[in-house]
Amino acid sequence: MSEETKTVFDDGPALVVRSDEELTEKLALMREAQAKFATYTQEQVDKIFYEAAMAANKARIPLAEMAVEETGMGVLEDKVIKNHYASEYIYNAYKHTKTCGVIEEDVAGGIKRVAEPIGVIGAVIPTTNPTSTAIFKCLIALKTRNAIMISPHPRAKKCTAEAARVVLDAAVAAGAPEHIIGWIEALSLENTNTLMAESDIILATGGPGMVKAAYSSGTPALGVGAGNTPVIIDDTANVVNAVNSIIHSKTFDNGMICASEQSVTVVGDEAYAQAKAEFERRGCYFLKGDELDKVRKTIIINGRLNAKIVGQKAATIAGLAGVEVPESTKVLIGEVESVDISEEFAHEKLSPVLALYKAADFDEAIAKAERLVADGGYGHTSSLYIDVREADKIQRHYEAMKTCRILINTPSSHGGIGDLYNFQLAPSLTLGCGSWGGNSVSENVGVKHLINIKTVAERRENMLWFRTPEKVYFKKGCMSVALAELGTMGKKRAFIVTDQFLYKSGFTKSIEEQLDKMGIVHSSFWDVEPDPKLHNAQEGVKQLKAFEPDTIIAVGGGSAMDAAKIMWLMYEHPEAAFEDMAMDFMDIRKRIFEYPELGSQCYFVAIPTSSGTGSEVTPFAIITEAESGVKWPLADYALMPNMAIVDTDNMMSQPKGLTSASGVDVLTHALEAYVSIMASDYTNPLALEAGRLVFTYLARAYDNPDDVEARDHMANASCLAGMAFANAFLGVNHSMAHKLGAFHHIPHGWANAVILTRVMRYNAAERPTKMGTFSQYQKPQAKERYARFARYCGFTGANDDEVFENFIVGIEELKAHVGVKPTIKDFGVDEQYFLDTLDDMSKQAFNDQCTGANPRYPLISEIRELYLDAYYDRPASSYED
Amino acid sequence: MKLPKDKTAIVTRHNKVVYDCGDTVAKVFNATKPSSDIVNEALNLTRAEQAGIDVPELVEVGKSGNNWAILTKKVEGKTLRQLMNEEPEKTEEYIRQLIELELSVHAHKAPLMNRQKDKYIRMIADASDIITEAQRYELLMRLDGMPNHTKLCHGDFVPSNIIVREDESVCICDWAHATQGNGGADCAITYLHLQLNGENDLAESYLRLYCELQGCSVSYVQGWMSIVAAAELARGRVAEHDYLLSMVDVVDYV
Repeated sequence: MSEETKTVFDDGPALVVRSDEELTEKLALMREAQAKFATYTQEQVDKIFYEAAMAANKARIPLAEMAVEETGMGVLEDKVIKNHYASEYIYNAYKHTKTCGVIEEDVAGGIKRVAEPIGVIGAVIPTTNPTSTAIFKCLIALKTRNAIMISPHPRAKKCTAEAARVVLDAAVAAGAPEHIIGWIEALSLENTNTLMAESDIILATGGPGMVKAAYSSGTPALGVGAGNTPVIIDDTANVVNAVNSIIHSKTFDNGMICASEQSVTVVGDEAYAQAKAEFERRGCYFLKGDELDKVRKTIIINGRLNAKIVGQKAATIAGLAGVEVPESTKVLIGEVESVDISEEFAHEKLSPVLALYKAADFDEAIAKAERLVADGGYGHTSSLYIDVREADKIQRHYEAMKTCRILINTPSSHGGIGDLYNFQLAPSLTLGCGSWGGNSVSENVGVKHLINIKTVAERRENMLWFRTPEKVYFKKGCMSVALAELGTMGKKRAFIVTDQFLYKSGFTKSIEEQLDKMGIVHSSFWDVEPDPKLHNAQEGVKQLKAFEPDTIIAVGGGSAMDAAKIMWLMYEHPEAAFEDMAMDFMDIRKRIFEYPELGSQCYFVAIPTSSGTGSEVTPFAIITEAESGVKWPLADYALMPNMAIVDTDNMMSQPKGLTSASGVDVLTHALEAYVSIMASDYTNPLALEAGRLVFTYLARAYDNPDDVEARDHMANASCLAGMAFANAFLGVNHSMAHKLGAFHHIPHGWANAVILTRVMRYNAAERPTKMGTFSQYQKPQAKERYARFARYCGFTGANDDEVFENFIVGIEELKAHVGVKPTIKDFGVDEQYFLDTLDDMSKQAFNDQCTGANPRYPLISEIRELYLDAYYDRPASSYED
Repeated sequence: MKLPKDKTAIVTRHNKVVYDCGDTVAKVFNATKPSSDIVNEALNLTRAEQAGIDVPELVEVGKSGNNWAILTKKVEGKTLRQLMNEEPEKTEEYIRQLIELELSVHAHKAPLMNRQKDKYIRMIADASDIITEAQRYELLMRLDGMPNHTKLCHGDFVPSNIIVREDESVCICDWAHATQGNGGADCAITYLHLQLNGENDLAESYLRLYCELQGCSVSYVQGWMSIVAAAELARGRVAEHDYLLSMVDVVDYV
């Protein structure tokens, strides 16, 4: 150990590293101390933080004296301020901050944040602020229950160690473990690298080399680098105040704060002259003739800052350059033109030496500042003096500056460290420079950067909903009463959407008569094809635009109602893109596309004429682009009708095939909604009752189309199931049926029914390959739910398995009764074509919007097997994993 | 090793004499020079040759009396330094040639060669009597942060080490300081040597052209200046002590 590395202090509770060999051993002792400290309560920590801050504050003058004496840099009185700031402001900023244990809790939301210390901080402390930075880093380490090993700069190691000792002694006296703070006396590259590698986080304040070393050590690092703060004085600024702020800041500790001003660019001749006069009046010296070159060669050597000028007063630097200036000179100013790095004045000078530029306009000033930042101060600080009403200029400035602090009308030395000229900027002596400066943080470093926050998240169930049209009218003959309301509501123009068959068979006639009676003008669009096409809807929208209705009345089966919903959307929001609206969602609340609200122009009335889709009460619609065959399934509560009129009189003429297909569709809706991962106490009763009604009345309605009671209950079953799946959604049965429809044109209801019992068995598996993901859905439970559904519909058995099997038999019997063919093949699907399309169909079924709510999350291969089973009538497997 | 009696001294330095021995050239070192240095220089020479560089062919490493010596085949031609002196109007052209040659050396790899950073760390750490603790710390931290490259660096790439043959092919001599590392350091050394030779303008134009051709910033090479200056100090360049020390005493951040 050389003479200069010998300590002047007793070690006391400190860990002092006096050789390369000692560091690892002392870090081990420090870890023991930190492990103990990690168990301290907030109360204990706050007491230690208080006493340590107090002690540092008390020692601020002797520490400042030591710093000036040892480093030969800076101004005693300013170093006193820095020490005062580092103790008082840091204490004040964090005295109430929770840093131990639970720091935040939201009981309702089930979330808790728990602060843990990081461990051992490796701190590199510079010569510019050797005592204040030590106080700052030690205090924030103590507040966060970390230990800190300091690597001071060799030029300032005694005063840095003393500052650390003052904080440590007070902390230990207040109950902190010994060895919680230490420092390295034997400063070597090896020790610095060992410290960086072995600590848990690095708080490095240093040059680019230091910051790079920190970041390449493999240890997480908060490193900060050099600045080159450019100042712009705009011609709208109060120039006199600006100049005095700059002098105040630039002379602070002889310009050693890294946020300190390095250059000033004044906009316009007049402001420049004014600034120059004010600088001179306040004792700054403008270098003349060859003085400029002499100072250039003195401050910068081979593009690097001369160590001898750092933190020296202006007259001393002038003396080194062989230039004579008054002893009291505040700042040496070079009037220069180039902002290139080859201009010595364009560098960071860490001394009361300033470059002064003139810019013709604000843009030129910004360009200069950008260049100065790029060459020496990426990420650090920039400053602007301006009339604050110049919002546009301020914005142009902050947009152009790649600096993490942009200070307006503020002395930058004092301003950058925070809490002195702006009280929302965190006080700190470690100023993050963001990725531009190779840093991981872009803000002023504080206690939050020295804790690990553990988030304890309890399982919560997300809010569910029950949404349905505001008015659902039902019972045989209710239509005229319900429509009368439109008159009461003051509606004037109604637009009827229906299909050709219904229109021609006079279905809409009674509606038109009713409207006529109320004096409501009406028009009709009756060109809706089955599986409504986009061009139909577009045609309808043309008529809508021409007619400008205040009410849309959709009359028909699913197709007419879907087409009307889409026309409603296109009419009110012509800008909405189908591609975006049709994007599948995982959670309808979190979907990327935000649907526009509907209803601003038209009230929507849905009048079903079949007992199946439930579209009168659902937020779904599907439309096909005729040329490409692409289907756009739309799902959003915006599409929910305002009024549904379920009048049995409209159902009486359904042909047998429709009664069958729509009837089994209702059963599938009810079953899928009941076992959906989103099924709720609100949707379950609707699904159950819909199911019971189907089992009681479907066969009757099928056998005897004029059975009003059966028709009535089937109409209600359809609407009830619609309300259930409008909220609980469907499942993979529908996903698969959609593709059987799209690829093989099997009518939708029958496409559902042909696979229904197989899909039920698949869902009922006790060991599904994968379960659906939804916080409410706790465990595989489809079988139990099917059994409950079955019991409600009158099926019995000794246990769930038996009930389930009986239910399957019952469903098959009902299907057979209403003429559903037993296999896909029986629907006339060509075997080769089926096999050719099987993979596409399976993948598309997997990707169908309905799949997400299925209780079992299906694999594509499983869907494929289900299709094959249902095609070839293969015996049902258990479908367990 | 037996040297001919009619040998003539070409260069005399404080630690060696170089003799023209007819077909060969002998570099005879002072007895104080550690043998490992001599063997290392010969090893560097052969490694440079192996890397595909035109160097004088090694004939023998051995002792001439008490002194270690390296014997190489003589390369006929004029050094770039001689050419520059003879045709000062073509200086710019020769400097460009020097740089292009330097960059072509950097394009080679010599994975077994000593590492430049290790060498500088050792030299700076050993210079405790000349450079203060604070300066050494600054230098070592700066050096540690320099980018790690593996270019073949000659380490003393000055015009007097380049021999241009009559057929204009070029041979590069004196591989004593060769390492693998960062080309910027090599450039900084050449710059420094030109400066120490009093050729300030030449040094500046060399530096600018090097950076232009290499595609790096002047500031990047300047980052090496304090480090190579410290290494020169460690070599005991007494005459330029103050000048070198002023180059060393710079900071990136303090």
